[in-house]
Amino acid sequence: MAYTYYKDNRAYIEALLKTGDCVVVNDEVDWDLEMGAIVRRMCERKSPAAHFKKVKDYPGFEAFGAPIATWRRLAICFGLPPDASIPDIQREYLKRTSGPPIAPRIIDRKNAPCKEIVWTGDDANLLNLPAPMVHDGDGGRYICTWHFVVAKDYDTDFVNWGMYRQMLFDEKTMVGPVLPFSDMGKMLYNKYAPRNLPMPFATVISPDPLSAIASSAPSPIAEAEFTGQLMGEGVELVKCETSDLYVPAHAEIIVEGVILPNLTIEEAPFGEYTGYRTSPRDKRTVYRVKAITMRKNAIMAVSNMGVPTDEGQLLRSFSMALEMERMLRDQGLPISGVYMLPESTHHLVVVGVKPIYANVATQISQLVFGSKFGAWFHMVLVVDDKTDIYNKDAIIHALCTRCHPVTGIRVTQHGFGTPLNPFCSPEERRFSRTPKVVFDCLFPPEWPTSDLPIPVSFNSVYPKDMQERVLEKWRTYGFKD
Amino acid sequence: MAAWDTYIQKDFSALTEDEEWVAVIRDLAPGRGKYRSTHARIRVSKDPKKYPETLWVRLGRGQLIETPCSMQILEYVDVFPKGM
Repeated sequence: MAYTYYKDNRAYIEALLKTGDCVVVNDEVDWDLEMGAIVRRMCERKSPAAHFKKVKDYPGFEAFGAPIATWRRLAICFGLPPDASIPDIQREYLKRTSGPPIAPRIIDRKNAPCKEIVWTGDDANLLNLPAPMVHDGDGGRYICTWHFVVAKDYDTDFVNWGMYRQMLFDEKTMVGPVLPFSDMGKMLYNKYAPRNLPMPFATVISPDPLSAIASSAPSPIAEAEFTGQLMGEGVELVKCETSDLYVPAHAEIIVEGVILPNLTIEEAPFGEYTGYRTSPRDKRTVYRVKAITMRKNAIMAVSNMGVPTDEGQLLRSFSMALEMERMLRDQGLPISGVYMLPESTHHLVVVGVKPIYANVATQISQLVFGSKFGAWFHMVLVVDDKTDIYNKDAIIHALCTRCHPVTGIRVTQHGFGTPLNPFCSPEERRFSRTPKVVFDCLFPPEWPTSDLPIPVSFNSVYPKDMQERVLEKWRTYGFKD
Repeated sequence: MAAWDTYIQKDFSALTEDEEWVAVIRDLAPGRGKYRSTHARIRVSKDPKKYPETLWVRLGRGQLIETPCSMQILEYVDVFPKGM
């Protein structure tokens, strides 16, 4: 049975407009910094998304800014009320992704909107797409900020969808980092490059919301099947023009070509998800373009990474936390919940656990740091199952009152990280080394019960009937909340 | 004078002047082609009038040097394999 979902950004924008979660911008906006500046401010203010109807120099194109940068918009992606709570959104995601993978449906190209316009040969010119100059000082126009790259393993049927940033270099060239531990990095550096073979790719720009969510999730299930789980039916795919790759048929723009196996050219700097420009201009992976297909009046999606909160921070935090929760539960740990703060730029994960034995916080940290997604964060904060992990005040209170400064903070010096951590030394960044830390906010279970500090809160030090009486009469006391 | 920019991975004080080197330069002419990058063999001077083109310099994280240099483009360099 299909769940509620939007098969393209056009339907999604309509839904956002109905709830006041999208603004239509009819004034012409400049792709050169103006659109980026608007989207950046929107992210920092948690404003509605923006549907830009006119883009300077690019008649016939539209743009869509900050597609899923708020919890409200994420709730709408799942057909939930926009004010659904974070745990409600988590439950919906876990419900949809707990069944078997759902294979995609292949449709004929004549029914695929992304084939309405086809550019090949010299016509496949990236400069004819409204790629934004996102931040002043960026190394180029980032044509791909809300997108994913489709690539297929050389000698298996494994297909990866992943968000790998891509900078427009010239008419036929994009360039961007492909980290060696990423799924596509393993394909490229372990399979294609040693054989000196170009690797076919297809970049899906402005995909439907659930495909985008799947492509940014660290699930072990292939993203196309994972999208099917999220949709409750197979995502509709269509074959590419120049390779045997398949792409979502309802996406706005598809860029096809090959990744050159043993050539790198300069890319970056770029305003990154950490809220800084950390990685320097450097030589990175080259994508050469063979074809571009798109819908009529294609809508270029634009995400603007920087200080919180953008959709990359929100979605990576959301899905990484839930995949961690799944993994920890599979290990039999009595987890009450896992929440990664988007405001931490997915660097801090909070785990609630029933503290039934000593050192469970260490066990949790070793599991999550050693997992597939361990590179992307370096702080784990473990609290008991009574602490509201979604409440920043409660988290700070637990950190400041339950974490022993000597025995409760445990550091691993040479952790596995990324080159993008602003606090790391240049050498640590170069070799993707990141110190890791766990903040153990659990009172040791070996402490005698009589010595345990007792939390003093409305919920913990009043009898149930007194709590109910106060809650019932709250407004009659004169309080408005 | 046409305007271009480039990124350098060192301090501006160490910029190589009056010697040929291959750089990635970006065209700053307005329009769809703005920020198009190309490899070129160039000569640069911190004297903004010495060579025919204007070259703005940025450091590795995008920091703009406030005064422009001048540049001579000796040739464009195609780094991509033929047929790719």
